[in-house]
Amino acid sequence: MTRTIASPAAVRQVRYLTWIVVLAVLITVSLVRVLTDQNRMTTPGTLRLALIAACPILLAGLGGLWAERAGIVNIGLEGQMLLGTWGAAFFAYHFGAWAGVAGAIAMGALGGLLHGLATVTFGVDHIISGVAINIIGLGAVGYLAQTFFDGYEGGGPRNLSGYAVPREVTIPGISSAARWVSEQRWFLISDVAGAIAGVTTRLSLLTILALLLVAFTAWVLWRTPFGLRLRSCGESPQAAETLGVNVYLYKYIAVVISGGFAGLGGAYLAMVASSSFTTGQTNGRGYIGLASMIFGNWNPTGVLASSLMFGYADGISLLSNNGPLVHAILLLLAVLLLGYAALKFRRGERMTAYVVAGIAVALFAWYLAVDSVPSDFTGMTPYILTLFVLAVAAQRLRMPAADGKPYRKGQAG
Amino acid sequence: MQVELRGIAKRFPGVIANHDVDLTIRAGAVHALIGENGAGKSTLMKILYGVQGADDGTIVVDGRERHFSSPTDAIEAGIGMVFQHFMLADNLTVLENIVLGAEKMHGIGEKARGRVREISAEFGFDIDPDVRVAELGVAARQRVEILKVLYRGARLIILDEPTAVLVPQEVEVLFANLRELVASGCSVLFISHKLDEVLQIADDITVMRRGTTVGTADPATATRQQLAELMVGAELPSPELSADTVTDTPVLSLRSISLVDDTGRTLLADLDLTIHRGEIVGIAGVEGNGQTELVEVIMGMRRATEGSIVLAEEDITRLSVRKVRERGVGFIPEDRHRHGVVLDFSLWENRILGHQTTAPAVRGPLLSPGGARRDAERIIDAYDVRTPSVHTTARALSGGNQQKFIVGREMSGDPILLLASHPTRGVDVGAQAAIWDHIRRARQEGLGVLLISADLDELIGLSDRLEVILRGHFTAQLDPREVTAQELGTAMTGGAA
Repeated sequence: MTRTIASPAAVRQVRYLTWIVVLAVLITVSLVRVLTDQNRMTTPGTLRLALIAACPILLAGLGGLWAERAGIVNIGLEGQMLLGTWGAAFFAYHFGAWAGVAGAIAMGALGGLLHGLATVTFGVDHIISGVAINIIGLGAVGYLAQTFFDGYEGGGPRNLSGYAVPREVTIPGISSAARWVSEQRWFLISDVAGAIAGVTTRLSLLTILALLLVAFTAWVLWRTPFGLRLRSCGESPQAAETLGVNVYLYKYIAVVISGGFAGLGGAYLAMVASSSFTTGQTNGRGYIGLASMIFGNWNPTGVLASSLMFGYADGISLLSNNGPLVHAILLLLAVLLLGYAALKFRRGERMTAYVVAGIAVALFAWYLAVDSVPSDFTGMTPYILTLFVLAVAAQRLRMPAADGKPYRKGQAG
Repeated sequence: MQVELRGIAKRFPGVIANHDVDLTIRAGAVHALIGENGAGKSTLMKILYGVQGADDGTIVVDGRERHFSSPTDAIEAGIGMVFQHFMLADNLTVLENIVLGAEKMHGIGEKARGRVREISAEFGFDIDPDVRVAELGVAARQRVEILKVLYRGARLIILDEPTAVLVPQEVEVLFANLRELVASGCSVLFISHKLDEVLQIADDITVMRRGTTVGTADPATATRQQLAELMVGAELPSPELSADTVTDTPVLSLRSISLVDDTGRTLLADLDLTIHRGEIVGIAGVEGNGQTELVEVIMGMRRATEGSIVLAEEDITRLSVRKVRERGVGFIPEDRHRHGVVLDFSLWENRILGHQTTAPAVRGPLLSPGGARRDAERIIDAYDVRTPSVHTTARALSGGNQQKFIVGREMSGDPILLLASHPTRGVDVGAQAAIWDHIRRARQEGLGVLLISADLDELIGLSDRLEVILRGHFTAQLDPREVTAQELGTAMTGGAA
């Protein structure tokens, strides 16, 4: 087992290393962009799409984080998100945009409550209950849409449009200045400017809310007594019980909040990513959210970083004529993986280094062999990336010690 | 703080765990509660700490009758408990573990950290609040548990078998800590079945047997013998060897065995060891110094990085576990639930495990349920395994009976070498005596035995020869006929023997 030593000096060193890695990745991206002349890689438009694609994944990932930190595996995120999409459409149609957001959260939380009832009270296996909730979510949303939306103006048995959505804001000055810089195609500076323009132009209030929730989650879980208790339920519920923590209650709270986050993710899909509702709108994003939580090592900032990555992959699959761009990204991936392999090699983990280097070489060979990647493949990109990333990073991840384990009261000691 | 328990009773489906329990703990005293495993001590403690509710009886704290429906109530009444299996979350820091559930007292930040430092210094605990618990050793974890209790201002501290995991030197430190606690006005309830320790530390003694309190004793006048008789109603068995049976024929030879793990840490360093027919070699060491790895290397569960292993003139260094077992190696694993039995398999199915290539468990390429059943019945008779039938699942048996069944299974098929890892851990006194008998008999029948144990009396009493293992090295060879537990403990922790 690998151990992390939490002395302040070590923490500082880790932070310092993180910044170096971030900088190195940025430079690589910029270099590849210039070399391949695929400027769309970091234009404000692409990055804005990436951010919009990332937010639902981020919200689902944070939802998963809340549940798993309390020891409950919530694979039902997908179903809870689906419930959220319907809640957003229904309540926004009748009562306005923010009522829609609240309705989505409530619908997701309802799904979470169901998961809590099954796993906490009845001790059902977490995976089985989660899969059941996904199936129930799909069926329920189909039924609800048909029952309610069919007669609405702008509605049909499987869709609804024309409801209010949260406002978009553009930060004046910064947005246009960054856009101008990004158009100059300068090395590195234009890429950073592209990112700045991406997050300051036509930014939905829901996006801001999603980003704030990252900080909120980190603060609640790590800085408040409530968070300590919640995390203790995921690490050692028996210990928590002997110290007077009502483990069942905290697990319920966690899984309901988890469902609420997933529901909000659903609202994002139905209000920001697109302005209309269709059944089955989540399209696997709940699962990707779960993957982003795992890859983010059960940490809010990690979830943010990994969902941005998945979001980027998801976002470029939406661009038109994206074959050459994905082709350029093959090169980017090959270079990044090679760098990772070198890092591993220096740490003495030879086997991992060879495997990763092998993958990098294969990607490079593929890059040289073709001019463009077929568009069927680009749709798969986020999922391929998930597999890659998990295969490479899995050994370094540490989940809460009692995650997914059944817990019954009165067994302590 | 004075605590009285009157007429406590607790029933589980099919079992009466406690009945008519009376116990009075004086203020400022160490009260020892002794009894065999299964006598109902742990259930009683869980009732006193509010983990489980009593069906009958009353708890009186300082003259007031109290009802505890959860540990919170007990904590609020000033009762704190240190469990035998520590109740700590490994991935949280010491501070987080301590303030959990008591956040209202001093928050979870700087003030709480200061308070933990203060208590730690007051009793000489030497604990850094910002270390992750996973990085601490057993003795330090125990001090964290006691800190946890003190932080909540407990006036009665319950310690459930606190010395089971400690070496003698650590026990001394613990006892010194307990005396300071008592001097500062706390009461201590000390649960144990180690009579010497009880006589050393206790001010009062209460004995439990079969779920009820059967008597009290005064440690100033009571003897080991009297306590033992109260506890089991009979003389305590002790591990001792009969006549010398050691021969010159080697059964197992380890030659310069080394093991290095993936991260480059040396787990075993250049070990040489020979076990002869009819000889029991004991390995003494604080847990985690390479004992587990040594057994795994011999069994073929891990591959030695260097060196060779010879079993009866055949090199088995690179053989698989199955092949090693087929060559005649019996294995009593240290954690029987992880390695010894499949808890949800019936006994006859468990009989097949590890013998899935040899009669009577198989016939040709197929399993032979009939043969396995008959042989499981033989084991149940010969090894006195108390079970309704061979169809009972292993989970339904007590730890002692599971262990007796494992011993019986491992002795089937005429082994020539027996690896016994903590063979009597967590079993009651009766089963312990029976297992000791079986190991002695194996020795008489000419098996070589490798005995690993944390029970120093067991090691000294059963072994013909003792090797001390420390950080993967054999650091000393001791003669069990001359060494005392105290000297052995010193050698185990690296002090001069």
